[in-house]
Amino acid sequence: MTADDYAVCIRGVTKTFSGHTAVDDLNLAIPRGSVYGFIGPNGSGKTTTLRMVMRILHPDRGEIEVLGQTGQKAASDRVGYLPEERGLYKEMKVRDILRFYAELKGMRHSRPTIDLWLERMGLSDWRDKKVQALSKGMAQKVQFIAAVVANPELVLLDEPFSGLDPVNAVALRVAVLDLRRQGTTIIFSTHDMAVAERMCDSIFMINRGRKVLDGTLEAIQADYGTDTLRVRLNGAGAPGDLPGVLRVTDFGRYQELRLADGADAQQVLRSLMARGPVQHFELTRPSLHDIFVRIAGPCDQEAAHA
Amino acid sequence: MRKMLVIAGREYNAAVRTKSFVISLLILPLLIGGSVLVQYLLKDQVDLEPKRFGVVDRTPGQRLLAAIEAAAGERNSQGIFDPQTKRQTLPPFLIEGIGPSSDTRAARDGQRYELSERVRNEELVGFLEIGGGVYAFGPSSAAPGAPVENLVVRYQSNSPTYDAFYRWVTPVVNRAVKSSRYKDAGLPPETIEAVQRDVPLITKGLSKLNPETGKIEEARDENEVASILVPGGLGMLMFMLTLIGATPFMQGVVEEKMQRIAEVLLGSVRPFELMMGKLLGLVGISITLAAVYLGGAYWAALHYGFDQFLSPYVLFWFLVYLVFAVLMYGALFIAVGAACTDLRETQNMLWPVMVVAMLPMFVWLNVAKEPNSSFSTMASFVPTATPMLMLVRLAVPPGIDWWQPALGVLGVLALTLVLVYAAGRIFRVGILLQGKGASPRDLVRWVIRG
Repeated sequence: MTADDYAVCIRGVTKTFSGHTAVDDLNLAIPRGSVYGFIGPNGSGKTTTLRMVMRILHPDRGEIEVLGQTGQKAASDRVGYLPEERGLYKEMKVRDILRFYAELKGMRHSRPTIDLWLERMGLSDWRDKKVQALSKGMAQKVQFIAAVVANPELVLLDEPFSGLDPVNAVALRVAVLDLRRQGTTIIFSTHDMAVAERMCDSIFMINRGRKVLDGTLEAIQADYGTDTLRVRLNGAGAPGDLPGVLRVTDFGRYQELRLADGADAQQVLRSLMARGPVQHFELTRPSLHDIFVRIAGPCDQEAAHA
Repeated sequence: MRKMLVIAGREYNAAVRTKSFVISLLILPLLIGGSVLVQYLLKDQVDLEPKRFGVVDRTPGQRLLAAIEAAAGERNSQGIFDPQTKRQTLPPFLIEGIGPSSDTRAARDGQRYELSERVRNEELVGFLEIGGGVYAFGPSSAAPGAPVENLVVRYQSNSPTYDAFYRWVTPVVNRAVKSSRYKDAGLPPETIEAVQRDVPLITKGLSKLNPETGKIEEARDENEVASILVPGGLGMLMFMLTLIGATPFMQGVVEEKMQRIAEVLLGSVRPFELMMGKLLGLVGISITLAAVYLGGAYWAALHYGFDQFLSPYVLFWFLVYLVFAVLMYGALFIAVGAACTDLRETQNMLWPVMVVAMLPMFVWLNVAKEPNSSFSTMASFVPTATPMLMLVRLAVPPGIDWWQPALGVLGVLALTLVLVYAAGRIFRVGILLQGKGASPRDLVRWVIRG
């Protein structure tokens, strides 16, 4: 691939705040037209990276190329941004605020596009209402429209699905995938691993400011091998003291068992059957959730089962 | 530039379409008009109850007491009523003649104490004591050894702010004393009064030559009150338009910052563009307010014949200086808003700016009275004070040379550029800062290092 094939190229970027390194020597290339998922624990550097791509923050070292341009103001009119915390003027009417954001991106005669998006997101009846009258989900959708109304080539969405009910989440997901079909590059950060697995062409994980994963889901899972057993036992969770098992993660209806290096899956199955009936047994690759936890550290619940 | 105008347009619309803007538009004339109206309505609201005063006349024959009683009688029958409506507008003065004590020090003090007690008991409002030697004149009045208080009229009261009685009684006593002195000197009082009659003095502006008729026009009457009030009013309007608009803008910046709207905006515009857009919006709002107020004031000036004090030349400079004052102080207010995380913090950080902004208010009257003094000239060239004080000097007839406001603009322009630059650097760092407000040291560091 040539440089023109990438929407974003991050080269050796470091960003420090008051002695704390938020992003450390980051290199990343995001192909045009892809959906790229940013995952990582809280405070790992996702939002800082997105803000640097938006030129809201500037790197202390390194270079960021966006849509083939570098520099402070590069391509800002061709990039849409949905920040993690919503920023809408409460006193403005929905259509007015969308026109304002469209004009800031250099768009003229934005009204037909705004009306189209409002209709698509089920907000036509709210176009002349003030933002303060909207529910949280509606305001989220208005903020999303503000990010995409000027037909950007690159869209950055920071936690776009947080706080949305399933119906609104589906509407937003469909809109995002439609944008990709039209050739828009989408970068979004999320804590929902299932969403990342379903929607993203590639996944980038950052932990303590450093890149720890980057690639397609299949490639990432392939790196971790088939070291996971998914089992369902008759009415009980898997015991935590099985030989050859490093950790048990309980998902309620089934459990995931991570095998130690060199452990024999058949031996584990025999151990399980010796303790009771086994309804389901599957040797599989680790889920993104499991990979995330392995890198970022186990949560309390999983530790309790380990 | 286009993005700045988009920001400015939003700020302008968001401000002028609110109820608070309409209220702030009305509140200034309401405050001024209301205070005038209240004073007009209350001008007749004086205490009309009779007021009793004691008079101790130590002169031989006590002729001054008689003169005061006669004058009080005339005043109470005619002087306290409105000539047109015949309504009583002033309280009658009741004079109680009090026999003088013996002329020893102890006796005088004893009588004064006794009368003071009557004042404390509210039987009297005050008492007058006329020295026994007040008729004396010429070298004899300064006779060695004569006690000085023998030559004066003394008024004692526990309400020093009530001056109506002694202001009324002073000419009454003096007229009677002088008349007596003329007689003692063998001079006819009527002749003396005729000789001593004051020559009236009237104040006028400068005479003008009408180029159309070729005749010299009668100079206009000078109105000292308007000469002070109009420049003062313009200076006050400048002060209020600068600060009234800037304060809600500062609050708006804090809200944008805390509600993360600023982050969305900075995805589209650079911090300096965002700040300048806001400043342009603020200038637009101030000019709108100024147009309403000055338009009304100019109409009133034309209507009531005060247009000499409010010429288009003065109004032109008002608008020029208003733009710079709003940019200068607005930039500081917006920078403070960006550096703070709540409104309480802004109050702490704002007071140095407010002190600088208010300094011209303390000296404007001196400048208006002597607009061409060295102090006034120098003060009006201090850039933070130029918009207000140069305007005051311009508005006091005959005004100042054109080069002075022009030179003043250069100083203000230079300071405005410096402040907008510094505010821009503070804004750039502060607007994304969350959690804790900046200290003054942080602000200096941001300005120097960015």
